[in-house]
Amino acid sequence: MSEPHTRRAVVTGIGVVAPNGTSTETFWKATREGISVLDRVTREGCEHLPLRVAGEIRDFDPPSAVEERYLVQTDRFTHFAMAAADLAIDEAGLNRSDTDASPFSVGVVTAAGSGGGEFGQRELQQLWDKGSRYVGPYQSIAWFYAASTGQISIRRGFKGPCGVVAADEAGGLDALAHAARAVRRGTDVLVAGATEAPLAPYSMVCQLGYEELSTEEVPECAYRPFTSAACGFVPAEGGAMLVVEAETSARERGASARATLAGHAATFTGASRWRQSREGLAQAIRGALEEAACAPEEIDVVFADALGVPEADRAEALAIADALGAHGRRVPVTAPKTAIGRGYCAAPVLDVAAAVLAMEHGVIPPTPNVHDVCHDLDLVTTRARATELRTALVLSRGLMGSNSALVLRRGATEASQ
Amino acid sequence: MSENITAEELAELMKKAAGITVAPEELRERSDDSFDTFGIDSLGLLGIVGELEKRYGTPMPPDSEKSKSPRQFLDAVNSALPAGA
Repeated sequence: MSEPHTRRAVVTGIGVVAPNGTSTETFWKATREGISVLDRVTREGCEHLPLRVAGEIRDFDPPSAVEERYLVQTDRFTHFAMAAADLAIDEAGLNRSDTDASPFSVGVVTAAGSGGGEFGQRELQQLWDKGSRYVGPYQSIAWFYAASTGQISIRRGFKGPCGVVAADEAGGLDALAHAARAVRRGTDVLVAGATEAPLAPYSMVCQLGYEELSTEEVPECAYRPFTSAACGFVPAEGGAMLVVEAETSARERGASARATLAGHAATFTGASRWRQSREGLAQAIRGALEEAACAPEEIDVVFADALGVPEADRAEALAIADALGAHGRRVPVTAPKTAIGRGYCAAPVLDVAAAVLAMEHGVIPPTPNVHDVCHDLDLVTTRARATELRTALVLSRGLMGSNSALVLRRGATEASQ
Repeated sequence: MSENITAEELAELMKKAAGITVAPEELRERSDDSFDTFGIDSLGLLGIVGELEKRYGTPMPPDSEKSKSPRQFLDAVNSALPAGA
C-alpha cells in the first residue's frame, strides 16, 4: 500500500457478457433502464432443484464467440471469459499486431469461485458410467479456477505476468487490484476480471448448502436486498473483463483512460459472519480511501454488495456509515445486480463496469425489484438518477468471509490532495 | 481392407478429441510438420491415443502421445495393430 503510485492503472476497455446483455452497450442500456432479467432456471438437469430463480445468459452462442478447439477443451466460464476479453481488448483499441510486437507487456488476471463445473460434471459422469478411459485429458485443466487466465493468455499469445485469484465474491475486486499492482511493477497492460458459469446441475447442487441462497420462486421477489422482504441472493452467470493499463501506456498509444483504479483494500471476517462483516467492510473502505487519497465526501456513488440477507444488509449499511461518516447517509447507493443476480467473483467486476459507465454518462443506474428500503441509506431505486459522478466506491463481500472495497475515479484525473 | 489407422481417422480424431479441423489431404501433405503447427498440444494427442485404445481394444505403444508429427504418430500407433490384415 505504500508503493509509490508512479504508474497509475487506468481502465481502457470494458467487455461484458451478462444476463442482461452480451455486449458492453446492451449491458449498460439494460442496467441504466433497470430492466430485471431474473427468471426461472431453465438449464437442463436443474429443473427439479430447489434453486428456482437465477440470472441465466440466454443469447450467448459459444460457437460464434470462440474457436472450435475451445469448445472442446474449455468450460462455459472460459467461453464467457474469452468473449468478454475480446470485447474489452477491441474497445481498448489493442490490435493483435500491437500485442504480438510486445507479448511480455501484456498479462492476464482472473478471479474464479465456481470453476468449470459443467465440463467437470460431464467428465466425471463418464468416469462413473464407463470408466477412467472415457475421461478426456482436457479435464485436467478445463474445470480449474485458473483455466480462463491460462486460455486467454495462450489464445492471445500474451506472455506478461499472469495470475488467478481463487476466491469468493470479493475476489473479483482483488483481481483488479492485483492487475493495478502489476501495472505499478512495470507491466503495461493486464486483461483482468472474472466470469463464472455456476448454473449447471453439479454447480447448482454445490450452492444449495448456502443458507444465504434465495429459494423464492417468483423472480421479482427473489432478490430484494435492503428491504424487509430480503430473502437471500440469486446466482448469475457471465461476467466482465477489463483492460487495465498503465496511464502512460494508454496516453502513448492514444487510448482513452476511462477510469483510474485509485485505491483498494481487503479484509477477512469469516464465512457467513455477517454481523462481523460490518467492521471488516468498513476497514476495507477506509483502506481503499487512504490508498486513493480520497476523502469520504468525495465519494459520489456507492455500488453496494447487497447480499439480500437482513443481517448482512444491516452490516453493510452500518459499514458505509462507519467509514464515510455523515456522508454515508447522503451518498447515493445502488445495487444494479438485483436485475441480474450475483455471479460470484464476476458480480463486483460487473459493478466496476457499471460504475465506469455510470461516471462516463453521469447517471446512477437503479436497483430493480427493490422498494421500501428499511435501512438508513439513499438507495437509488426504480429509476436511474442523473448526476455528475467523479468518484465511485464499489463494495463486495464473499460467502467465505472476504470483504473488499475499490475506489474508482473518472478518467485519468490525479488524486486530489 | 486394411485395419491400419489412416490420415482420415487421425483427422477425425483431431476434431473429436481436440476440436482441431484439418483435412486428411493436408495431414498427408504435411505429415512431417509438428503437431504444434496444427494446433494439437500434448493433451490433445493424449486424448487421441485414448480414443484409439478404446476403438481398437488394445494399448497403444508407450510414448505414442509424445510423437512430434502425424507421420511419427501413425507409424507408432500402427505398429501396435496387426499388420495389414
